Amino acid sequence: MLSQITVSPAPHISKPLSTRSVMIDVVIGLVPAMITAGYYFRIHAFILIPTCVVSAVITEWLCNVIRRKSNPLESLGDFSAVVTGIILALSVPPVLPVWAAVIGSGFAIAIGKMVFGGLGANIFNPAMAGRAFLTASFGMLMTTWTVPATIDAKMPRISADNMLDTRTQATPLALSKQAQKARTGADALNEQLRAAFTGEVGGCLGETSALALLIGGIYLLARRTISFHIPLAVTLSAFVFSGVAYLINTQAYASPVFHLCSGGLLIGAFFIATDPVTAPLTTRGMWIFGIGVGTVTMLIRIVGEYPEGVMYSVLLMNAVTPLIDRFCKLIPAGGRPHV
Amino acid sequence: MKVQTKGRFTFKGGTHPPESKGLTEKSAIQPGPVPRQVAVMLSQHTGAVCEPLVRKGDAVQAGQKIGDSDAFVSAPVHSPINGKVKEIALQSHAVLGRSLAVIIEADAENNPLKQPASARFGGDFDEDAYSVEKICAAVREAGIVGMGGAGFPTRVKIEPNPRLPKQTLVINGCECEPYITCDYRIMLEWTHQIIAGIKLARKASGCSKVFIGIEDNKPRAIKVLNAAVKTHRNAEDIKVVPVRTKYPQGGERQLIRAILGKYVPTGGIPPMIGVVVLNAATTAAIAEAVVCNAPLTHRAVTVSGEAIANPGNLYVPIGLPVADLIDFCGGVTQKSAKVVLGGPMMGIAIADLTTPITKTTNAITVLTRKQIGSAKFAGRQTACIRCGRCLEVCPEHLNPTKIAHAVKNNLLDVAEGYYINACTECGCCSYVCPANVELTGYIKTGKIFLARQKKKMPQ
Repeated sequence: MLSQITVSPAPHISKPLSTRSVMIDVVIGLVPAMITAGYYFRIHAFILIPTCVVSAVITEWLCNVIRRKSNPLESLGDFSAVVTGIILALSVPPVLPVWAAVIGSGFAIAIGKMVFGGLGANIFNPAMAGRAFLTASFGMLMTTWTVPATIDAKMPRISADNMLDTRTQATPLALSKQAQKARTGADALNEQLRAAFTGEVGGCLGETSALALLIGGIYLLARRTISFHIPLAVTLSAFVFSGVAYLINTQAYASPVFHLCSGGLLIGAFFIATDPVTAPLTTRGMWIFGIGVGTVTMLIRIVGEYPEGVMYSVLLMNAVTPLIDRFCKLIPAGGRPHV
Repeated sequence: MKVQTKGRFTFKGGTHPPESKGLTEKSAIQPGPVPRQVAVMLSQHTGAVCEPLVRKGDAVQAGQKIGDSDAFVSAPVHSPINGKVKEIALQSHAVLGRSLAVIIEADAENNPLKQPASARFGGDFDEDAYSVEKICAAVREAGIVGMGGAGFPTRVKIEPNPRLPKQTLVINGCECEPYITCDYRIMLEWTHQIIAGIKLARKASGCSKVFIGIEDNKPRAIKVLNAAVKTHRNAEDIKVVPVRTKYPQGGERQLIRAILGKYVPTGGIPPMIGVVVLNAATTAAIAEAVVCNAPLTHRAVTVSGEAIANPGNLYVPIGLPVADLIDFCGGVTQKSAKVVLGGPMMGIAIADLTTPITKTTNAITVLTRKQIGSAKFAGRQTACIRCGRCLEVCPEHLNPTKIAHAVKNNLLDVAEGYYINACTECGCCSYVCPANVELTGYIKTGKIFLARQKKKMPQ
């Protein structure tokens, strides 16, 4: 018989959904990218990804201890630190030293998230905040690229190179920048498209394979973990922007498909810009946010000095998210009430 | 001709919780327990509270009026049984907390079980025998109120009003709340009574068009009503409209949107756009009141939920304590549970099982800990991750998380800026929230605070 009756406001049932299940979905969505990272960059992936995840989780625990939380382990259960760690690891160069990765993840969690009050209160995407910190502090390390292990094995060994255990190679986007400056040679980049799609090019750990990111992104869309608005707005606006540039001068500017497949555009569109905490709430706001991310990325890539701009564009749009939310206020279904 | 049972019509937003109607949808409406004592609430409706018409020690007859009010928006209450007034005292009330009730001790010898009136209605019902005035007066005297939940006095709704002329009558047979099946059973079993009630309401309100909205998870009800409107005289223009199964399709604003494509203004009521919405159970009560001169003293109630031993649909006297009804259904099989008056989405959890059934109680749902979910059961909320799921499901296109967090931080003006008063409290936002934030709870609280604040303000 009844011995305990609970009361609470309606509704009394809820969808079996939790912050943890949402975050685990994102981790699953990132699995293809992690697999390709492991395939192309071998040992680097196996070191960097666990390093970032573990140091992100430990940093969050430390912050909770400092904040004198009654249960400092509690907030780790939502898996958001794990997601931040993985995304950060996937968006740094494969040869980044372990100590730098630890610093980056620590900054991402401590300054990017916890000082604002933890999950849900942060203004900037924590992983991108950590990456920006690394770029500003260790510019050299953050622009040293290695070639995928699959290419490395095929390459003929030249005596001088044997001194180093890794080979460096310019990323496709760096080559595209060179072509822009020289006003020629962009059409040659299209030969690299196939490699950029599968991931057999130099670049950040998890960003190289467009295919893996697409598979993960489609998984998130199918699971309704993310809505299609932001990814579509980012890719579409980037496509249009680079498409116009390409039509103006096919020799100086790489094709829009090349831009979509290279660099961090797809991981940004599907996994970083869609971080719900730092993106707008309303559909209209999401469109504006996504178009902003795509356009600013392309502005940096095509007009600016840097070869890549996803990180800065995401951070910039994060900063204006509260403003976007304020401008995109919803109107009730029955219209504004007459007062 | 094949009857279309697939619902094409719907509205934007909403969600689809597990229907859980299988527990009771096959159980016919049975007479409920013989009451030993009932507590008839003097406030069972929107509007003025009734004054008691009887005193302690008075003998009362079944159907006798025991409370009434002179106010326009009000409805009288009647005794469902023969007996003696034990006292007029405060009783637990699902909505109002505590409220005055007439407590009647049943006469043990002379209390026949009341049977539903459906047997008195057939396909040959003729509403022309009743004048508009007579219908309105009978509906008022019978104390009929909206039986779907809000309890707005039906007379006020259907009465001709020169300022707000009505053209369209919408009958709400959606029953979108999980577990509840009493309206479904009424539609199947009391079909002719419902059609009679619809014809009477159509005549009283002067509506020319009539739609019966039924969710497409009730194909049998759609077929039965479709067949019935064909056999009835003067009923061929009553259209049975299957609507998509989605919560809260049975909200009147959502139903009007789905069937007519019209939007009821924010803060407004359906008559502003010429529409009257009546619940299926209410139309049955109208027919009984007008034709049999019987007041609203009994209603069909679904007693359901996984924690109930023998769930079913019962025809019970209004004023019966919830505990009697639960015992009649075999009691509760779990140690800890939640007893909800209404369905799990909008119903009110009660702690006092002596709370009586009112005219608006369509169900008693007893939920187990497992169904509620352990996090929700423990009331564990985590931080909002701004995922926007609440905005996606809000049928009124509001921003629930902004409103709820404004209320939480005591920023009522901000909450008002996000149109807190346009909320219909359907509960979709809390249902989908991954962080288990009690969004609907905060919004309800905010609305109460705002109303209090407005009262205090000097004019």
